Amino acid sequence: MNLKDVLEKASFLIPALLLIFTFVIYPTIATILLSFNINLIPGVNLVEGSTSLENYVKVLTSEEFINPTGLRTSSFPMGAIVHNVIWILIHLPATTILGLLLAVFLQNIKGSSIIRSMIFLGMVIPMVVGALMIAFSFNKDMGIVPSIFKCLGILSLYKTWTSYPDTALLSLIIGSIWLWTGFSVTLYSAGLASIPKELIEAAKIDGAPFRVILFKIIIPLLRPVTVTVVAMTILWVLKIFDIVYVATRGGPGGASMVMALLMWDYFARMNAYTLSATIATLLTIIVLPVVILWIRYATRGE
Amino acid sequence: MASLEKKVISAAIISLIIGIGIGYAIAYYTIPRPKPVVTLTVIGPWSGVEMEYFMKVLKAYEREHPNIKIKYIAIRAEDLAAIAPPQFAAGKTPGDVLITPWGWWVASMGEKGHLVDLSELVDKEEFVPGIFDPVTRNDKVYGLPFTAWAKPGFWHRKSFFEKYGLKVPETWEEFKSLLKKIKEEIGITPIASGDGVGWPLSDTSEHFIITFGGPELQLKLIKGEVKWTDPEVRKIFEEYLVPLLKAGYFSEPKDWTAQVDLWWKGKYALYFMGTWITGMVPDPGDLGVFTLPGCKGIVMGTDYISVSKYTPNLEEALKLARWLATEGQRIHVGTKAGKFATWLKVELEEHWEPMRPVYKALMTGEVAVVPDLDDAVGGKWQTTFWDQLKLLWTNPDKLDEVLSTLQRVYEEQAKGK
Repeated sequence: MNLKDVLEKASFLIPALLLIFTFVIYPTIATILLSFNINLIPGVNLVEGSTSLENYVKVLTSEEFINPTGLRTSSFPMGAIVHNVIWILIHLPATTILGLLLAVFLQNIKGSSIIRSMIFLGMVIPMVVGALMIAFSFNKDMGIVPSIFKCLGILSLYKTWTSYPDTALLSLIIGSIWLWTGFSVTLYSAGLASIPKELIEAAKIDGAPFRVILFKIIIPLLRPVTVTVVAMTILWVLKIFDIVYVATRGGPGGASMVMALLMWDYFARMNAYTLSATIATLLTIIVLPVVILWIRYATRGE
Repeated sequence: MASLEKKVISAAIISLIIGIGIGYAIAYYTIPRPKPVVTLTVIGPWSGVEMEYFMKVLKAYEREHPNIKIKYIAIRAEDLAAIAPPQFAAGKTPGDVLITPWGWWVASMGEKGHLVDLSELVDKEEFVPGIFDPVTRNDKVYGLPFTAWAKPGFWHRKSFFEKYGLKVPETWEEFKSLLKKIKEEIGITPIASGDGVGWPLSDTSEHFIITFGGPELQLKLIKGEVKWTDPEVRKIFEEYLVPLLKAGYFSEPKDWTAQVDLWWKGKYALYFMGTWITGMVPDPGDLGVFTLPGCKGIVMGTDYISVSKYTPNLEEALKLARWLATEGQRIHVGTKAGKFATWLKVELEEHWEPMRPVYKALMTGEVAVVPDLDDAVGGKWQTTFWDQLKLLWTNPDKLDEVLSTLQRVYEEQAKGK
């Protein structure tokens, strides 16, 4: 490689690297250091204490992060990290299974593209609007969910779900499933289209029932799609913010507080930038393994 | 001859050029030039109709000062408290003049060196006594008061009370009977509960504290001299507020502006709200208001005008701040904003008619004026208070949990954790 080649390649690489360094690498490093009370930002004084792990101790021992009383009594609030875990435990299987089943069901239905578009609407609308729709859907006076339970005679659930600690988080999770299912349906639909029809037709000729076709052919062949759906869903749920901010603001009594909103609270409500950076770093540490595994899987070409 | 003609013409041209130059120079130094137009950015908490009333004030200033253009941006107090500090830390400001009801925030930012000391800008003796206290640190004043509001009690429609034969209660028992009658005979939830970010519930709770614990209890809670878990505080909640919540006399908390409409249309009978509600209803003449029987104090608050030291238009911003705190109040109290003046040079008659009785009662000392509890404490505790009250409203059995959380967060904040 001669100098001309090097210069030519560098002219393509350097602008991109500069942008990535300025807007990704430098802020990331600055945030991580800020969580240890080290300020990398010139001319701005954001740190009050000395270099230490005190921010991590503060965050990890705070009731907003993990609430031992809530965990012991199985009542909300249980702490932001627990709420995120609950969110993943409900949201992940729901969107994955729902997405797969809907995609399979809609595969051979006439006019399925219209239904798919309607399902995908949740992904298209701004999250703030989606959050308002969730708030309205679970409102006692105008929401469809409480009205259904009223019709069913279950009056204990005929209430504004977002106002009560026992239902606030659940209402947000259900709402987010509605918003996110469009994503998994779309991916699974694309995945289904790539499965050779001969495989399924051969199975049908051999007399395989639908259950066998689903579990022995479709699901194994859709594994790459499932990995993407799972990874993206976990990332989305761990970063979830706008829905909670608009619909409940983490309340009542912290019953729907999540990590990203806690980070915002430290930043915006308390101007505790180092604590906010600590939550951001913790979130990155939690998210990182998912991203690494996903990238490794994707680059292996499986 | 031709040569002479040329010389004459040349001389004439030169004379003309010199004449024009001299004339221009004289004009340049003698004729007053118009001042360059300066655009000031004012950030305030008002939107909707409240903003319309405030814009009348700003327009009046623009008329008086042709070289000033004002750009108004509506940013709520909680949002300003979120976006301004990072900008301050970088030596910038989101606006030239900042207006917020959170005195604690103004004082905090001033103490950190981000706001201009306004001590010499006005004569403090010309204002309501004590109004500068929340924005004063180390003898420096970081905010000037604008117009004020009060939170006098439960608003109701006179026509609604007449229609159903309801009477303003004079005792606690009468108050409970009134609520029972509204719920059981009229068949509606008696009291609307406002929400949004949460402050309407805190206003209602403060009214119970002031009524049954006295104005001094509210002051002690602000200063941390009485704990939230104190039996005296607990008793107020347990014996007065919680039974009403359990009886279903309060609605679920819903957006406070939407509740104004619902209450006006008769979905609720009563609404605890500040005086600004007078500017939000179609017929202020139909409004009535009463306190909880025996109440001896009213919460009063104001919006504070501050100037960031990072503004590029410091001189103009200070002039506007001073004008808003003085002459600007005359214009604002004359609108239907539902506010009254904190600058004592504004006469009673200059106020919008429905505001005059409240203003008179406050100024003549008929009731004690008490600072807003959550606005005075501020910080993380303020938002915790709002959030915990939302919890209490839907789960009154969690009273002890709510009070202990409030005390814990108060102590953490006091220790600077």
